Amino acid sequence: MALASSGNSPAVFDLKSASLTLVALVVKSTRLPDLAEQLKIRLGPSTEFFNHDPVLIDLSQVHDSPEPLDFPGLIDLMRSYSMVPVAVRGGSTAQIDAALAAGLCAVPPQESPSPARAASTAAAPVAPRASIMVVDRPLRSGQQVYAKGADLVILALVNHGAEVIADGSIHVYAPLRGKAIAGATGDVNARIFTTCMEPELISIAGIYQTTDPPLPSEVRGKSAQVRLDGDTLIIEPIRV
Amino acid sequence: MAKIIVVTSGKGGVGKTTTSASFASGLAIRGHKTVVIDFDVGLRNLDLVMGCERRVVYDLINVINSEVHLQQALIKDKHCENLFVLAASQTRDKEALNKEGVGRVFQELAEMDFEFIVCDSPAGIETGAMMAMHFADEALVVTNPEVSSVRDSDRILGMLSSKTLRAIEGREPVKEHLLITRYNPTRVQGGEMLSIEDIHEILRIKLIGVVPESEVVLQASNQGVPVIHMAGADASEAYKDIVARFLGEDKPMRFIDLVKPGFFKRLFGAR
Repeated sequence: MALASSGNSPAVFDLKSASLTLVALVVKSTRLPDLAEQLKIRLGPSTEFFNHDPVLIDLSQVHDSPEPLDFPGLIDLMRSYSMVPVAVRGGSTAQIDAALAAGLCAVPPQESPSPARAASTAAAPVAPRASIMVVDRPLRSGQQVYAKGADLVILALVNHGAEVIADGSIHVYAPLRGKAIAGATGDVNARIFTTCMEPELISIAGIYQTTDPPLPSEVRGKSAQVRLDGDTLIIEPIRV
Repeated sequence: MAKIIVVTSGKGGVGKTTTSASFASGLAIRGHKTVVIDFDVGLRNLDLVMGCERRVVYDLINVINSEVHLQQALIKDKHCENLFVLAASQTRDKEALNKEGVGRVFQELAEMDFEFIVCDSPAGIETGAMMAMHFADEALVVTNPEVSSVRDSDRILGMLSSKTLRAIEGREPVKEHLLITRYNPTRVQGGEMLSIEDIHEILRIKLIGVVPESEVVLQASNQGVPVIHMAGADASEAYKDIVARFLGEDKPMRFIDLVKPGFFKRLFGAR
């Protein structure tokens, strides 16, 4: 549905959230001549390798270095290789103060995934979803339903051009002809169930598949489920 | 209380205006005081199909803007005693419509003891179509046996169930009727057209009638006579059945099965 634009206040700017993927220069020495030499060996005379890309200076390896780092010198050095230093991360308080003084900004240190934490994440079940959203009217072309943080149960048809989205699983007890997007926030255990599998698109945790070419006849128009096995969507009949 | 019926489809050229004219005429023939309103502001056609284009002095937008009284804008139909036409403005656009104005016009029509208000919706899903359906009690969803028309009808059905006043106020939903036009059993048999079953399988609303593809529809339209008045024609009979079913009568579906070619020849006479 198109939103009416406000015609009477011509905006000269908008504030929007944005994210940026950066290259990090992990500094392992605070001695500028060493850094200059190593950069020259690594990148050679070509100063065009970094096409004025923004670069983050990672100080975590020199965090405990007693020698101060010459930030203006480092910035000049990086610029000579067409890098655009924008921020520092992981430095000591003194290093961060010096970086701020040199016109960089500071970002919070990267969380190093400790083995213990990784294990606990893997062992912990995905946040339990107590809630369930039930829709008992037909969803027609252009209509969209999103079950945020919940499973979605639909008791009427989902027609071509309609979209059903859930953070959990999707159950459609009628023909599913539109798009079905389960595990919308990344739950790889989410599934899609329907009594009549005729979707335009199915997706679980971002892995999607259109139905052109059509689904195999053993599931098309039949009771079927969709689940994720690794990076592959498995569509299989439900036999009772 | 007047019953408001919107004739809508989403897609253009499927027969909304033809249906509005014949359906409203049919209600009037059956003795019900009826008004048919053209919501296609800027592209008015209903007056042409009703054959009253030379009698349009004031239109819906004039009434909405309180420039004239409703009585001054209502045009009495030349075929039916109980039928009035409210034409659209040709010089304005859909933005001239607003809920308050349309609601006030309906209120006044109800006070004038109109039993049925038939709203001929423009194509699309923009202001004009939304205004035509906003106050509806029932909807005739006109669909051709063709995938794009069925898809657009589906979209409109979604809006009827979510954007109308009844939906917003959480009252009993708008009663939806499927009306298939330009149906040709021969072409359905040949696989060129969707069948009634195909359409019903997708839309799943109650079928009120099927109007066969017919040359008479175009002839009638060009003559400014609603096709329901073309005695003996299939399309006329089909619309009479639709009106009867709308009024609660039980009529078997006609013109949906393949017939021998000789039948059409006989029906359309010397051609």
